[in-house]
Amino acid sequence: MKPGRAAYLTSVAAVYVFLMLPISIVVIASFNSGKYLRFPPEGFSLRWYAQFFASQPFMDALELSLVLAAVSTLAATLIGTPAALYYVRHAKNWRETFRLYTLAPLLLPEILTSIALLFLYYQIGLGTKTVAGLYFGHIVICVPFVFLQVTASLYNLSPAVEEAARSLGASPATVFRRITLPLIKPGIINGALFAFIISFDNVTISLLLKGVGTTTLPMQVFDYLRWDFDPTTAAASTVSILMTLGAVLAVDRLVGLRAMRY
Amino acid sequence: MSERPARPTKLPLGLLLALPVLVTVGALIVVPYVNIVIMSFRTPSTTRPYAPGFTIDNYARALTDSFYLELLGDTVRLAVMITALCLVIAYPAAYHLARTTSRWRGVLYALVLSPLLVGVVIRSFGWIILLANNGLINQMLRALELPALPLMYNEFGVVLALVHVFLPFMVLPLMGAIQGIDPRLEEAARSLGASRTKVFRRVVLPLSMPGVQSGCILVFVLSCGAYVTPALLGAGRVHTLTTEVVTMLDQFLWPRGAALALILASAGLIAVWLWAHFSGRTMRGLA
Repeated sequence: MKPGRAAYLTSVAAVYVFLMLPISIVVIASFNSGKYLRFPPEGFSLRWYAQFFASQPFMDALELSLVLAAVSTLAATLIGTPAALYYVRHAKNWRETFRLYTLAPLLLPEILTSIALLFLYYQIGLGTKTVAGLYFGHIVICVPFVFLQVTASLYNLSPAVEEAARSLGASPATVFRRITLPLIKPGIINGALFAFIISFDNVTISLLLKGVGTTTLPMQVFDYLRWDFDPTTAAASTVSILMTLGAVLAVDRLVGLRAMRY
Repeated sequence: MSERPARPTKLPLGLLLALPVLVTVGALIVVPYVNIVIMSFRTPSTTRPYAPGFTIDNYARALTDSFYLELLGDTVRLAVMITALCLVIAYPAAYHLARTTSRWRGVLYALVLSPLLVGVVIRSFGWIILLANNGLINQMLRALELPALPLMYNEFGVVLALVHVFLPFMVLPLMGAIQGIDPRLEEAARSLGASRTKVFRRVVLPLSMPGVQSGCILVFVLSCGAYVTPALLGAGRVHTLTTEVVTMLDQFLWPRGAALALILASAGLIAVWLWAHFSGRTMRGLA
């Protein structure tokens, strides 16, 4: 192998190591028996997992995160899917404006959206007394991800298929239920997966909008990390990684991720 | 089955489909953003969100006070550094991923995407374990009887962690652009006697410029707005505009925070516009 090619392949390999390094370190730290990760590791232990599952604050945070992600996913799917149908099949004038409008939550800096929502909540008297505002914030940032995935799958679907069904006498509602919906289902499910992950991992929106006395799992980890080092957070992080991985694998089994566009 | 009878039902259906997103984004994006713009012109107060009356003092202060200007400069400087490092690091990997015929291609693609599936907090946590004063790297240095290095609570740690966080956003557009380049163009240039370096500089790089541009814009904008990683890896010792704005919210200086946040957002947009303008020129120059 020529030295130039060797250098090129080494740099490529280094990028993959760099990408996986911090994530693997967190997983390793969660199984480490000592409080601090030492080199070489001190031994294998599940005590941080035991502590994580026994901790009421962490369990409450996990529960809120899961419910929040589930609700946001459902709402974002119900909002984003019709928007994609409108954009691909119906929009004529203002088509690009509509796309930018729908993608705005993704294009605008999340921290700014978070601040803007916080100010508005206080001014209309909602404040952060309830978790309702947190739900709204999560829903709106999830919508663009569903929109993008469903739009992509609609572009792959030839209108001729729908026209054929129409010409054979099916009503528009039947065409949608029997033809369009099954064919764009992979896009909808991939979009929902994205929405779930975005909501489940979000910190920036939750940071300012979480209700008084409630917190999500990433926020709980964030708060722990700011003040003290506690390996329970490594266990919490690993559980969260496994849940995401589980969702991805479930979707892969269901529809296959090949259809996914980023 | 002519088009005409279908027309009257088409418009309301379209409106019905668009309505949910129009309402959601309208209420949760448009209204709050209009509100934050108004807020940025209000008179600040330390005891409540804002005092009566309007002023441009919030902007005047932010744009004349050397403290805020320095902060803005630091934020943009860090974002430029992160973008440049991402580009240099991502390019070989993106090129490899776009051109490889290895059966591991799918796995490598998943590896590039996988960090996106892990939250920013967890990824920053991994860097804390590695870079802390008592972290893994410094322990190893001590074991080798080398002096410990300050890797965290400074710009180095923040930049390193942010490069990691945003790297996939650079690899993906680059890969897309490189995949769009016909490999025969490279072969033709090679067969006409161009060196590999020359092929890269004169063929691959200019043709991949659209990918370079969208990757850079994405990473730059994301870096300007990053809060979580600077807050964790900088731990109060690295100040960016975002960390300063959040501090202001805690101090109830909302109008001032609003002005600062909007200046940051527009600085990001202006920088993106300048970059698009500038790189459009170089693109034509190179091609």
